[in-house]
Amino acid sequence: MRFLPTVAAITAGLSLAACQTVDNTPGNRTFGNSSGTPTTYVDPGSMGPVRGVGIESQDIIGMTDQMMRDMLTEPRLASAATPPNVIIDSEYFQNDSSSRLNKNVITDRLRVSLNRAASGRMQFVGRHYADMVAKERELKRKGVTDKGTVPGAKAQKGGDYRLGGRINSLDARDPKSGIVQRYNQIVFEMVDLESAEIVWSGMYEFAKAAQDDIIYR
Amino acid sequence: MRFKSSAATALLLLLGACSPTPMVVSPVCNMGAVDDQRQLQEVPSLETPMNSVNITDKSIINKMFANNVTARRTATGTVEVIAQIINCTDYPLVAEARTQFYDTGKVPSEPVSAWKRFHLPAKTSNAYRESSIGTRSVEYYTVEMRETK
Repeated sequence: MRFLPTVAAITAGLSLAACQTVDNTPGNRTFGNSSGTPTTYVDPGSMGPVRGVGIESQDIIGMTDQMMRDMLTEPRLASAATPPNVIIDSEYFQNDSSSRLNKNVITDRLRVSLNRAASGRMQFVGRHYADMVAKERELKRKGVTDKGTVPGAKAQKGGDYRLGGRINSLDARDPKSGIVQRYNQIVFEMVDLESAEIVWSGMYEFAKAAQDDIIYR
Repeated sequence: MRFKSSAATALLLLLGACSPTPMVVSPVCNMGAVDDQRQLQEVPSLETPMNSVNITDKSIINKMFANNVTARRTATGTVEVIAQIINCTDYPLVAEARTQFYDTGKVPSEPVSAWKRFHLPAKTSNAYRESSIGTRSVEYYTVEMRETK
């Protein structure tokens, strides 16, 4: 008897919920997160609404733009009598920092922007596509496919200079306030692939502090 | 006792008179003079002043100014712009700037550079530098500056 009112209330509640309709007509759709923040495009070159102490889009755009412009001021890279063959990929670009980061985001943007900006002042070797090129060359030489329209090459291009570098960080945390501070240091170097001489160096560094760090995925 | 105090004051005054002119320890920040030299544009201008720093952020227009803006050709033929920015406030500021390079026809010759952040402690100066991508095609430039965090 004691439980009767409770059972009756639950039954009534369930009955009412069953009668609820969902309006799915375009423009009137309602979802469970209707009070959430609507999706907006943000400028990747400026700080967005989600900010942490790690490397973010504005840092990547800033550092790759700075390195690209700086490389174009180095005579051995940008005004050699014969444009040098350069390799820019993440193979020798290490992430030793505490930030979880896809290194390709940095090296791909640097390679693409430099290739577009160099306009013949450097030649870019796609070493990360070496396997793809080797397979196609083999098919051509075996006669499985024709020779294509571009004249054949004796071998794939060898690199004169290759990008190396490292992402380092230094973390500090105040246990009282919970503020986290991270110093990020990103080193870029172009190495002569015959002599190991570093012909160009660039560094991008910054420190950020925040009370609540975000999760980078 | 009164006599002793007066003597000490007189001695201090004499010593003060002998001391050299005090050194200026911070940049000269005569914002009135800076304002007189500025080309303030209240309404959108038809033509952007070339080879200049444009402070597009109203909140810092009375806090900092560009003391000197120069450009030079690098060894590879690109153009390097150097602007010396002075923070006239007695607190640290963080600003960012970017540069657009133009050809002889004052048409943008390449994409605008990325925003470059620089820190300015109280009453100090810092240099903003940016290099162009193009070489001979670059003739003019404009620098945009705004406050950031």
